[in-house]
Amino acid sequence: MFTQFFGSYLLHKQLVTSEQLSEALLLQKNTRLKLGVLAINAGYMTADQVEKAHARQQREDKRIGEVMVEMGFLTTDQVEELFKTQPSGHLLLGQALVDKGYMSNAQFENALNSYKEENSLSDADMNDSNESSIAKMISSFYDLKASEDRDQLTNYVSLIFKNLIRFIGDDFTPMDPFSLKEPISNVVLQNISGSENMTTLIYAEKPALIAFASRFAKEELENDDEYTQACVSEFINLHNGLFAVNVSNDTGAELQLEPQCYYDSMDIKGLSKACVVPVSYPFGIVNFVIAM
Amino acid sequence: MKIMICDDSMFVRKKMKNAVATADAEAEIIEAVNGVQAVEKYKTEKPDLVFMDIIMPEKSGVEALTEIIAFDKNAKVVMASSVGTQENLKQAILAGAYDFLQKPIEDDDVAKIIAKASK
Repeated sequence: MFTQFFGSYLLHKQLVTSEQLSEALLLQKNTRLKLGVLAINAGYMTADQVEKAHARQQREDKRIGEVMVEMGFLTTDQVEELFKTQPSGHLLLGQALVDKGYMSNAQFENALNSYKEENSLSDADMNDSNESSIAKMISSFYDLKASEDRDQLTNYVSLIFKNLIRFIGDDFTPMDPFSLKEPISNVVLQNISGSENMTTLIYAEKPALIAFASRFAKEELENDDEYTQACVSEFINLHNGLFAVNVSNDTGAELQLEPQCYYDSMDIKGLSKACVVPVSYPFGIVNFVIAM
Repeated sequence: MKIMICDDSMFVRKKMKNAVATADAEAEIIEAVNGVQAVEKYKTEKPDLVFMDIIMPEKSGVEALTEIIAFDKNAKVVMASSVGTQENLKQAILAGAYDFLQKPIEDDDVAKIIAKASK
């Protein structure tokens, strides 16, 4: 999940355009990590050293690992260790951007280091994607204020991303949260009751909603009809159901889901304090709204 | 085998119909869109197996299950829900459910249930 947030960070810092990011997110599946990016990530080499090694390799026709060892940048043990590194998503994304020439090794190095620093994330946090580091990242990204609701909201938002990766695809970028100010259109709503009442919504422009439904249903849908709405409704029902299962397992509290409703347009009374989580896919932006 | 699929979502009904047809091409499939219809159709159609959603308008799946069991104590009703909490599981089993499936439902889950029910 750090992949998507790291992508969002690159976009924010205007290091890449949204088109370049979308392209790299699609390419990362077929990207192979190269030694330079791995060494930068591990902190064994600087981008400058990587560039020097590459320049020398072009003259000497040797393997890059060999060149890096000869130049004294790495030991053979380090080369072996780096090749065994499990490819984590943010590295594949970085590699895809470097391969395409959208970022230099130096820009990647700076961005990765400042991202880790600004979010107080360690290498281990970035590579393991454990629950507590994801929660830390999400509550800081969405600036969730310390409150009784914060943990529940953090868990809810974190599960949205997991379910997006599981059911829709990992080629998305989280966008900045905002507050609802105007009526919204093409909305699926589901209320959750229990120890805590929540209202949850998904809304998007029609083409984005149709594309979202197509991915979820694994079918090519073309129209904004009842079937498309039923697909989006089932996604929110599935997501909220899995959330209720997590809450029940963690705290023993039972949440009840109510049947979902679709609205062509909806006024936002009562939702002024709702948390809006917009997510950008190549096909458009889909918004998730949570009100507690 | 006569199999009833009860879910308020037309998307889920379509997916379930495909899964049932894949597992048993001979199966006769009937559909219901809420708990009220499920009870009515159970009484007239007497299906051999039912897949029932829990969260539905009009009448919930657990209420419908209770009424179906009161009508036919040997009814085979599989509850299919996104909310597979201990509490929902307990309620369903106490009300006489044949099995419980956590959504998303894989074709394999459906095939296993059909195989078990046709023994």
